[in-house]
Amino acid sequence: MTRNSEVTGAILIGLILVLTPQRLAAQAPADGCVSCHAGLPQPALSSPAAAFRGDIHDQRGFRCVDCHGGDPTTQDKAQAKAPGTGYRGKPEGQQIVATCARCHSDAGFMRKYAPALRVDQATEYATSVHGMRLAAGDAKVATCASCHHAHGIRQVKDARAPVFPTNIASLCATCHSDAGHMKGYTLPGGSPIPTNQREEYEKSVHFTALAKQNDLSAPTCNDCHGNHGAAPPGVGAISNVCGTCHAVFAEKFALSAHSQIFDRACIECHSNHAVLTTSDAMIGTAKDAICSECHTEKDDAGFVGAERMRASIERLKSALDANTALIASVRNEGMEVSDQELALSELRTKLTQARTEIHAFDPAALDLIVNEGMKGLSAVEQAGNQAVADLRFRRRGLFVSFGAILLVVIGLALKIRQLDRQH
Amino acid sequence: MQAIIDWVDKRLDLSGIRHFVQEKGVPIHAQKIWYYLGGMTLFLFAVQVASGILLLLYYRPSASEAYESVQFIVTQVEFGWLIRNVHSWSANLLIGAAFAHLFSVFFLKAYRYPRELTWVSGVLLLFLMLGFGFSGYLLPWNELAFFATKVGTGIAGAVPLVGPALMHFLRGGEDVTGATLSRFYALHVAILPAITTVLVGLHLLFVQRQGMSVPVSVARRLKRGERLKEMPFFPDYILRDVLVWYVAIALLAALAAFYPWELGRKADAFAPVPPGIRPEWYFLAMFHTLKLLPAHILGLEGEMLGVVAFGAAAGLLLLVPFLDRRAARDEPSPLFTALGVGALIYFIALTIIGHLAS
Repeated sequence: MTRNSEVTGAILIGLILVLTPQRLAAQAPADGCVSCHAGLPQPALSSPAAAFRGDIHDQRGFRCVDCHGGDPTTQDKAQAKAPGTGYRGKPEGQQIVATCARCHSDAGFMRKYAPALRVDQATEYATSVHGMRLAAGDAKVATCASCHHAHGIRQVKDARAPVFPTNIASLCATCHSDAGHMKGYTLPGGSPIPTNQREEYEKSVHFTALAKQNDLSAPTCNDCHGNHGAAPPGVGAISNVCGTCHAVFAEKFALSAHSQIFDRACIECHSNHAVLTTSDAMIGTAKDAICSECHTEKDDAGFVGAERMRASIERLKSALDANTALIASVRNEGMEVSDQELALSELRTKLTQARTEIHAFDPAALDLIVNEGMKGLSAVEQAGNQAVADLRFRRRGLFVSFGAILLVVIGLALKIRQLDRQH
Repeated sequence: MQAIIDWVDKRLDLSGIRHFVQEKGVPIHAQKIWYYLGGMTLFLFAVQVASGILLLLYYRPSASEAYESVQFIVTQVEFGWLIRNVHSWSANLLIGAAFAHLFSVFFLKAYRYPRELTWVSGVLLLFLMLGFGFSGYLLPWNELAFFATKVGTGIAGAVPLVGPALMHFLRGGEDVTGATLSRFYALHVAILPAITTVLVGLHLLFVQRQGMSVPVSVARRLKRGERLKEMPFFPDYILRDVLVWYVAIALLAALAAFYPWELGRKADAFAPVPPGIRPEWYFLAMFHTLKLLPAHILGLEGEMLGVVAFGAAAGLLLLVPFLDRRAARDEPSPLFTALGVGALIYFIALTIIGHLAS
């Protein structure tokens, strides 16, 4: 083979490699659904085609036909939707759940795309208030598409998804804050379902943590009500629901006398949606204390217990404050009190422990913790007072030494003057 | 007392010392006040030696015990707080006094012939004092000192050619660890004191052999053959020295009682770097200059050029007596005075700016 023929061969092979993909692409069948719907003047018919671009299913290679059926290879509307093409049109109500469940309830199928994703959403949904009402023929309730959208579905971890934690309250409020939409729906007791949950939730510490402090672990609607199996927690389940996160509080509460009396468990004191920042003022028998709502009689054991618990907490708090101020003041004077500062930070956990113990509503158990804290604080106070005494001693000593130094300096000055005169 | 002196005299012949004591005089002129700075620096060095030895009784030089031992000294040991605070404050006053002594000698041109070696030994002693300050700063093993040492030894790494090796040598490894503490301790309590003792001895020997220098302006006003009036060193001048030292003791006691030196938190290599990391005030001008330099100057690393410039400045400072030929001839040398004023203004200004910036 000559050199020229080698070069010609290489050019030909190059041309084949460059042109072949384009030829293959030109032969790929066009999606008739998208090409036709994208150009339709009615937004209701064209917007799904636009929204589907970027949808998680689009990214994974699914097409319109996978949910809607039909023949995407033709540009003719009649042929595309002809009998025998499996055309199902727009699913409604139960059909939506069934359509999603075809894949999302098939563990074998889902393993190929999202192996970690649960496959029991449809089963859970059937147990939800939404699912049960839908089964009973209520077409107003939420289905899969109501929360996830039908087209333009994004993964839960995508901040643009309506089901991303920070968007959930708004999503649920779409229906639950709409008095018109919620009209006719009642609680088990027969009273209308309120529509102020979102406003209430936005007052809560949970909303502050989630929306203002960007703490995605803070609860929103679905964390207490469930998402696919959404329902209000039953009366007996409230402490379990709150206890999912507040485990120690739930454990203490379970041991308390109140666990047998409080129908609505935690909610009795902390509310449900508007869970406000707690304060020690909630305990006790003062006007603003929650205990006083039930324990009104002075000879009532609950009244006495509430007063004792509040007094114990206040005793620990004021001792902590006083010692913190004492140690800070001697530290500002330059004394080395890092051991006491460490002790104080450990003793502050005693206050947290005591506040947790309140949920057992047992004054004696609370006093055990408070007394431990007071013992530690007494040692801190002793060290703080010793530091104050040391400071006084140092300053007194300084003035005494100043006096001695001054005497020597005067003596030296006199001697120098005497020597100067001699010379 | 006289009986003891006579007893020793009979055996060791103290006539040389007696002669020295009788003959040594201090020139009397308007600028004689600056003569006190050398004595003050020496006195504060003696305070450092004494308080340092006392601290050695309790200090434990290891990463796991250093902080706790200093904490023990200031909280549990009787008058430990006083010794530690005096040592810390006196260190700073000592370096301040050494700088003041250097500048006074510089502006009085006391380095000129025949006192070149006194100047060289003095400048070397100043460098040693800075070494004492740098090594001693780390010894309490607290957070600020730990990170400041990390930065300081990192700067040593910018020295051309030998930088990485020098940094490795200073740190005793790749990073500041307990090994760094051990060698800083050895430097602080053995190596630097040994060298300093020799140099202080030489410096004092030179001063005693040559007597006090007289400023150029005073020397030029003297008529041929005229001698400046002198004050006997013993006891007239030494009593004045002692008086000033007593005032220094009062100042140290007041600082120790009213402004105890903070111990801070124990060093933790894994903790985030705390805000306000900066070296001691006497390194602040250099540190801030390096911070202000651009990353690259003429294609070379800015920090490296800065370190080289400071090295060159230190070399020039040592060689001042040999460069200032006019002063050597007892003539005024305004160029060197101007350079000194510039250096002093630069040092003070950058120290203040560095302090405010951090």
